Amino acid sequence: MRIARYGLAIVLVLGVAMLVATAGLDRAFAHKEKHTPDQLKAFEDIFIEQVKVGDLLFHGDGDTEKKLGTQLSKTGMACAMCHPFASDTHPHEFPKFQEQINKFATLRDMINWCIEKPNEGIKLAEDSDAMKALEAYIYWSNRGSKLDAGRH
Amino acid sequence: MARTLNAPEATPDRSMAITRRTFIHKSLITAGITAGATTYGWLPLINTIDLAFGQTAFKFAWLSDTHLYPKNVNTRFVEKTVRAVKEITAMNPPADFLIFGGDLAQLGDPVELDLGADILKEVKVRKVFIPGEHDWYLDMGVKWERLFGKQPWSFDHKGVRFIGLDTVSRGPDYWTAKKMTPKERMGHMATLDGSVAGAWAGVGRDQMQWLQTTLGSWQKDRPVVIFTHNPLYEYYPPWNFWVRDWREVHEVLKGYTNVTNIHGHVHQVLYNEIGTTRSIGMLATSWPWPYAPEGVPALTKCHLRVDPGDHYDGVGWSQITQSAAAKIETEYVMWRKKEHLIGEAAVDSGCGDNVNQILTPRLADREWPYYGAYK
Repeated sequence: MRIARYGLAIVLVLGVAMLVATAGLDRAFAHKEKHTPDQLKAFEDIFIEQVKVGDLLFHGDGDTEKKLGTQLSKTGMACAMCHPFASDTHPHEFPKFQEQINKFATLRDMINWCIEKPNEGIKLAEDSDAMKALEAYIYWSNRGSKLDAGRH
Repeated sequence: MARTLNAPEATPDRSMAITRRTFIHKSLITAGITAGATTYGWLPLINTIDLAFGQTAFKFAWLSDTHLYPKNVNTRFVEKTVRAVKEITAMNPPADFLIFGGDLAQLGDPVELDLGADILKEVKVRKVFIPGEHDWYLDMGVKWERLFGKQPWSFDHKGVRFIGLDTVSRGPDYWTAKKMTPKERMGHMATLDGSVAGAWAGVGRDQMQWLQTTLGSWQKDRPVVIFTHNPLYEYYPPWNFWVRDWREVHEVLKGYTNVTNIHGHVHQVLYNEIGTTRSIGMLATSWPWPYAPEGVPALTKCHLRVDPGDHYDGVGWSQITQSAAAKIETEYVMWRKKEHLIGEAAVDSGCGDNVNQILTPRLADREWPYYGAYK
């Protein structure tokens, strides 16, 4: 009887393990299908759409700001006026200690600091659509830069 | 052309000894002859470069790139322009004249130009003007010329021939075919990292001819100072940090051994030499531009990284003094950094911190309708 009980327990454990493993494999297999050109284009389109929204915000476009309910500047200054081509934004260097903020900071922290301090605007929620779009534009503009986290 | 410009003897006049508050570019000194720069490894470090020319002591002031908005939009730029004007009027001995080097307005709005003219009225000494692209492309210079007259111009002052060129008004027509409104035209022009306005900075054939004629009556070893909004060499064309016909300009200047080009537009400490002409970039009062992504002229020492939280950092005006010893000093009056203008270490330098940066120009101008220009 004892052996039978052990046997049942082992079968149950194995069964559960198989279920877990199979579920995992299902997910893994789903991503191992070859991507179709349509899929890849869709992924790219989603990204580029956000890059363009971010570019508009970065260049102070009032209509886009209104649509997203943001006010990134009250001075007439746009991000791009100090950062043409998103130059000097250094997304590849974050996270790092950021002197102006006096803390270990992410790119999103720095974006919000620029909005609040030099531009005297209203900072964004960290996971807002506008923040993600700005991040998309800044990263896209700096593609190919050498990843150099922590560099001052 | 390259042989002409880079010939060993083709450097600015050796009599332009730099003597005070200046910096000797260490790398050029150690590189010596191999750099071909043994006689001109000189840079403006702290504030000043002394050039030995001219005959009588005098000084003049340079102010540019105030980028004024109407007062209800932005008072910060107004305050800084007013501060510069106060400092210029307080110069002692007073400046013989003020050169305003362009970009008085941000979007060419008559309200902005009138505001600038009002502020500049406080300067009682002679004023001369050259336009920037921000002043011009709303009404194609109509208001500008009404307020400040026409360019180019030249005058002789105490042994120096001063010339003011217009490097902004001869841009290609990018608006007619696209049926742009004047505001749209201005917006694209005002967007430094836009490409719709193309290679708008140039001297143009007509003005080049005028320059040749104007210089024709001047001895080749006598000092010439040429004021332009854009630099008279190729620094970074995507932001029009150049004039497109700079090679032709230097053909005209060939043989003149004592030429100094003082320019705005770049909003940064910048220095270069092409043949016998030296170019010195001036600060803006409004905001500093970053250094060009592809680097700076070898003769430039970049200013310290700017603190974007301080509106008075990385900006200011300049005064140029001709001393009794017949030397001219160009002094950057940068409001926040007086003692340490130049970033020596890479971590402190306005260009040295970008070693790992690679940039991609925007998509905004590559499809129709264009988007993302300033309004």
